[in-house]
Amino acid sequence: MELTPDSTVVFEVWGIGINATILNTWIIMAVLTGASALITRNLRPDVPPNRWRTTLEVIVNGITGQIAEITERRDPRILYFAGTLFLFIVTANLLTVVPGFDTPTSSLSTTAALALSVLFAVPLFGIGSRGFGGYLKTYLEPSVFMLPFNIISEFSRGISLAIRLYGNVMSGAVIAAILLGVAPFFFPVVMDMLGLLTGVIQAYIFAILATVYISSATAVPPAKPPRAPKDQA
Amino acid sequence: MSVDWITVAAQIVNFLLLIWLLKRFLYRPILDGIEAREAEIAARMGEAAAIRASAEARESDCKARVAELSSSRAALLAAARRDAEAERDALLAETRDRLAREQAEREARRAEEAARFTAGLHRTGAEALVALTRKALADLADETLERRIVLHAAAQLNAMADDLQEAAGPARAAVALTRDPLPEELQQRLRSDLAAVLEGVTLRFETDPALSPGLNLRLGGAQVGWTVDSYLNGLEAVLERHAERPLSKAISDAA
Repeated sequence: MELTPDSTVVFEVWGIGINATILNTWIIMAVLTGASALITRNLRPDVPPNRWRTTLEVIVNGITGQIAEITERRDPRILYFAGTLFLFIVTANLLTVVPGFDTPTSSLSTTAALALSVLFAVPLFGIGSRGFGGYLKTYLEPSVFMLPFNIISEFSRGISLAIRLYGNVMSGAVIAAILLGVAPFFFPVVMDMLGLLTGVIQAYIFAILATVYISSATAVPPAKPPRAPKDQA
Repeated sequence: MSVDWITVAAQIVNFLLLIWLLKRFLYRPILDGIEAREAEIAARMGEAAAIRASAEARESDCKARVAELSSSRAALLAAARRDAEAERDALLAETRDRLAREQAEREARRAEEAARFTAGLHRTGAEALVALTRKALADLADETLERRIVLHAAAQLNAMADDLQEAAGPARAAVALTRDPLPEELQQRLRSDLAAVLEGVTLRFETDPALSPGLNLRLGGAQVGWTVDSYLNGLEAVLERHAERPLSKAISDAA
């Protein structure tokens, strides 16, 4: 039983093997981009929105609202990053119900790539918001002795993100495969349905955690109150 | 559980590419569309607010005009009421004057009618009295009224000769006035009787259709009459006394 689609090479291009993880990622990208382009191709303010456009607006507005609740500000760059994380993961997790489709999020390479993206995005957002020095100072807070712990915390975030998503999605697929072998009827359907719910929740958790990390890195520290003049007496 | 780092790198590239694609085809169009619609809604809300403000201004203006019209209407009504009362008083005064004038005219006409009626009654009564007297004298005594009057006057002349002479003074021309010409016989009889009582007095006879039946003898400033006027006055008094109400009503109806 294959635990990861990375080992399944579908075809080769110039000697480079394209595995199922990459191919299915392209399919998900094509679905998301194609649907978005199709719905938003004739988008004018004087044309009343149809149900598809309204659906996209609800999704985008929902993501924006969630981000705004966490960051308490509206930054479209966080929307692009965290929103894409959520849409990609949720689409990949929902496509587990398609027979023969190995979802890319069941690959540790994909979840590691997403976690690395978050791991690099957090300092980039922090540097963009606080400046290079300001961001590095966050590793010395509350004291310089916390520097190694902060570095370990930063990397453990990425690892936990990757392992959590991979573990949940892969375990769901593995449990469904095992149940399919033990009891081919009814139970796999129930587990797939549970897997859909878990997949949506995992996508939400991944995107929310990424947003929280970015928000904590970009949060502007409160200005220190001016020192009171010393009493001459 | 292994990590294929080539796949990791490819997935990172794929993810970054997906970010750009979704930004290009999803986020920006949707966010721009939402912003454009919000801007359009805000513009419409602004227009609606401006229209509402304009409507409220017009409403307040209309209310002010209505209040102004109400106050001016009250003033106009008060003025009109005063004018109407003055006009009514003037009309009442004019009506009272006209009624009083008409009342006076009616009273005057009634008095005139009463006088005319009385005169007519007087004349008719006199004629009836004279006619009845003539008829009674002719039927019962084979006499005429003029003859009896002249004989009565001749008989009275002896008794009032001194008074006549004194009242007449130096005048020596007497005039006998009757309504109708006297017969020649009666003229001679009266002339001879007067000459017997008043020597040197000449008598001539004249007629006046306005006179009552009878005889008026005038000598200088003195005048003696034997006419039916006094009898007619008595007849009129009797008629008015016994038939006062019908007579008044007749006069009123005639007026």
